[in-house]
Amino acid sequence: MIGQGKIDEWISEVQERPESAELIIRYIAKRLSELAGREEELAAENIELLSGRKVEEYENRIASLEYQLELLKRQLGGEVVLPSEAPAPKPVSENVNILAYNSLGQVLCLEINPDALESGQTLALIQSEVPVSDLQVNLLVTGAQEELLFIFDSGRTVAMPTTKLPVSHPEQLAWQGAFLQEPHIKEELAAIHPVGKMTLYDTCVQASRRGFVKKMKTTFLAAHITENYIGSGVKMPADKTWGLTLANNDDLFVLVSQEGYIFSMPAGRLPIAIEEVIRLAITDHIVTAFVAGQKPSILFITQNGKAVHRDMGWLEVASSFKTKGQPLLSKERREAGTRIIGAAPVDALEWGVFLHSDGTLSVQRLSELVARGTLPLGGTADSLVSFASFHMAEKMQEASKEKAHRPA
Amino acid sequence: MGLRVGIDFGTSNSGVAIYQGDQIHVLPIDTKNLVPEVVKSILYITRDYRHFIGQEAVELYYQQNINRQRRFVKKWAGEIDYHGAEMDYVRDVYVYVDELQPGRLMQFIKTALRSEKYTGTQVFDRYYTLSDIIATYLQALKGRAESLLGEEISSVTLGRPVRFSASVEQDRKAQATLQQGAQEAGFKQVNFELEPIAAALYYELSLSKAQNVLIFDFGGGTLDLTIMRLGDKRQRRVYASGGIGMAGSDFDRAIIHQRMLPHFGKGVVQHEPEILSLINTIPDWAALPELSTPMARAELRRAIQAGVAPVRLKALEALIFNDLAFSFYNLVEATKIALSSRGVAVAAMKEKDMDIWELYTRSQFEKDIREHRQQIEGVLLETLAASGLEPGQIDAVVKTGGSSNIPVFGQMLGRIFGAEKVKSSDVFNSVTAGLAIKAHRNS
Repeated sequence: MIGQGKIDEWISEVQERPESAELIIRYIAKRLSELAGREEELAAENIELLSGRKVEEYENRIASLEYQLELLKRQLGGEVVLPSEAPAPKPVSENVNILAYNSLGQVLCLEINPDALESGQTLALIQSEVPVSDLQVNLLVTGAQEELLFIFDSGRTVAMPTTKLPVSHPEQLAWQGAFLQEPHIKEELAAIHPVGKMTLYDTCVQASRRGFVKKMKTTFLAAHITENYIGSGVKMPADKTWGLTLANNDDLFVLVSQEGYIFSMPAGRLPIAIEEVIRLAITDHIVTAFVAGQKPSILFITQNGKAVHRDMGWLEVASSFKTKGQPLLSKERREAGTRIIGAAPVDALEWGVFLHSDGTLSVQRLSELVARGTLPLGGTADSLVSFASFHMAEKMQEASKEKAHRPA
Repeated sequence: MGLRVGIDFGTSNSGVAIYQGDQIHVLPIDTKNLVPEVVKSILYITRDYRHFIGQEAVELYYQQNINRQRRFVKKWAGEIDYHGAEMDYVRDVYVYVDELQPGRLMQFIKTALRSEKYTGTQVFDRYYTLSDIIATYLQALKGRAESLLGEEISSVTLGRPVRFSASVEQDRKAQATLQQGAQEAGFKQVNFELEPIAAALYYELSLSKAQNVLIFDFGGGTLDLTIMRLGDKRQRRVYASGGIGMAGSDFDRAIIHQRMLPHFGKGVVQHEPEILSLINTIPDWAALPELSTPMARAELRRAIQAGVAPVRLKALEALIFNDLAFSFYNLVEATKIALSSRGVAVAAMKEKDMDIWELYTRSQFEKDIREHRQQIEGVLLETLAASGLEPGQIDAVVKTGGSSNIPVFGQMLGRIFGAEKVKSSDVFNSVTAGLAIKAHRNS
């Protein structure tokens, strides 16, 4: 606090050493301009609060979250007790958001209408000065009403609703105009995860690129999110955060490496402290993690478009940590350079989004891909960079309708 | 037969030097430091008991600790026997331990030698006595020096202040602890030399004729004074020596008391005693990390919710629970150092929930350490009187140590002895270099 006493002391410094006057003025002017900037920010926030815009935004988010919760309760067979005085929930958007993000914190968001989606369709082309494969691009498909958690490799997190991300036009998809959640110095964006439904899960599993894992209760995760820090989850200097997976204790947690090694174990048996669960070769790293859930099979996608399909029963559940992992690829295929770019548990209703090395984003019904075994690529130079799957109930209805009308 | 080196184990900084081929080599012991010949007297012990010193320790501490996650668990610490007139009973004692704490940082280790009460500290599951802590630091220093020299070091001449403590018994105990630490670090032979004498030996190299010299060695922990006849080996004589356990770290504490505590709520409103006790612990660098307990956090949050200086108490919460204490002490020290070269400096720290901005002038600083100045001048005049010399008979006053750069002390020396007699020796390395000369002469 700057009181009269302090001002008198500054004056006496100037009387003793007149050359200090210039410095004092400079320091105070710098501070004043800094405070004026902050004052303006606060005033703008205040206007938003007074005009009710912020309140409205929060009300909308609360209503939407409450609605989602009730929806989930209904899906899971729980009792639904909507307070009688509660306003009727607003209908949530049926659209699906496809996010493409890179380690620099740039996020592109594409909104698609599932009803208009065709299997094999090209959604957009990401324009990039740097080759997409050099940017460590990941894909995420999420609902338009989700809460997203940005996880940086320092362990820092930022939470925000999907609605805050600007939606890009499919023909103007370029990193230059992407939304930027800027990393701090020496930081990289490791992953983005939807966490809106985390209260429905027992635990959250954090994995690192080198196959280290730790789990925490979702109640702790909620507390850490408010503190904007969940820890990096790494133990070795050469390692980095991969991301999070929400799971119930009985769920089978699966880790898949780029060279095709798989670790699976019930989430309840995973370690609380950071432990190496799968021993990877020096050239290998984790590309995906998921819980098997009730899905009957798993689909692995390679960089050259091959779809390797396995029944869930094929997985060999690990009985200890530091395992070598269950191999998916033969030695010959691995040595020939085949690499896994993604994997997901699938059923008949699953769809996949694929990012090609030339920046093309395409979509495919996974049951078709399983039947065909290969995703058609643009040419010999084309390869896949990233893959994400999503469940589409609406499409299932259409598909079943089509089936019903098809002549026997 | 191994090498002989001189080591200045200082309160804030340390150094290693060797006398070889008629030349003194102060070793670039900390390549990560701005001045590689100086290594910060900081030790960081990780949970798996790996040890780091100097800039490496600082960097690792920042990397592992700032804004990290905490998890407190209740641990059994021991039991207390109560023996009353009618009944005896035993009570268990529990403490809250942060099980995610990645390491423990220790600074101002040498200051602990002055304390009668400090015997050591618990680092995770191990108890480190003071000599263990010193041994750990010196061992790391020895290892670095040996890898630079490519040979084993067997013997060391360590510097020591004129007085560790006013109590003769404590002074003896302090040297014995330092000696034990050096031996545990692997030095087969350990000798001691007074730090101002070491600085004098270095200064003597530049003399062509005999002089009466006052060595004003003013570092991070103590002020050491020695009045000597130098420049002629046959006439070398110590007239008097004195000192006081007051230096740079005491000035930092004075700045925190006078200027920083209001940023954490002191004097703003009437606080509950528990909160006041938290605020008053801020100047104590050793005690501050211990405040990060769930009880302290609950007290702070209660007061913040009740609207008792909430912004300042939030800053206090951030200081304690986001591991910002080390950055904060560094900020205060850096502000003090900046005032040695200009009249005004700003102590600014902007972190989550904390925004400190304090414009601090040299005249404010001089006002804040007025009592310290008076005591130092008193000790200086006492030492001069004990030497039997008049100020006019002193030919040169040699300043060494980081705190000797503070202008008000240069002015004080100039006023008493004449400004033309006040000379600056190599502020950080003259003691180290002098100890290397002494180590060479001991051989």
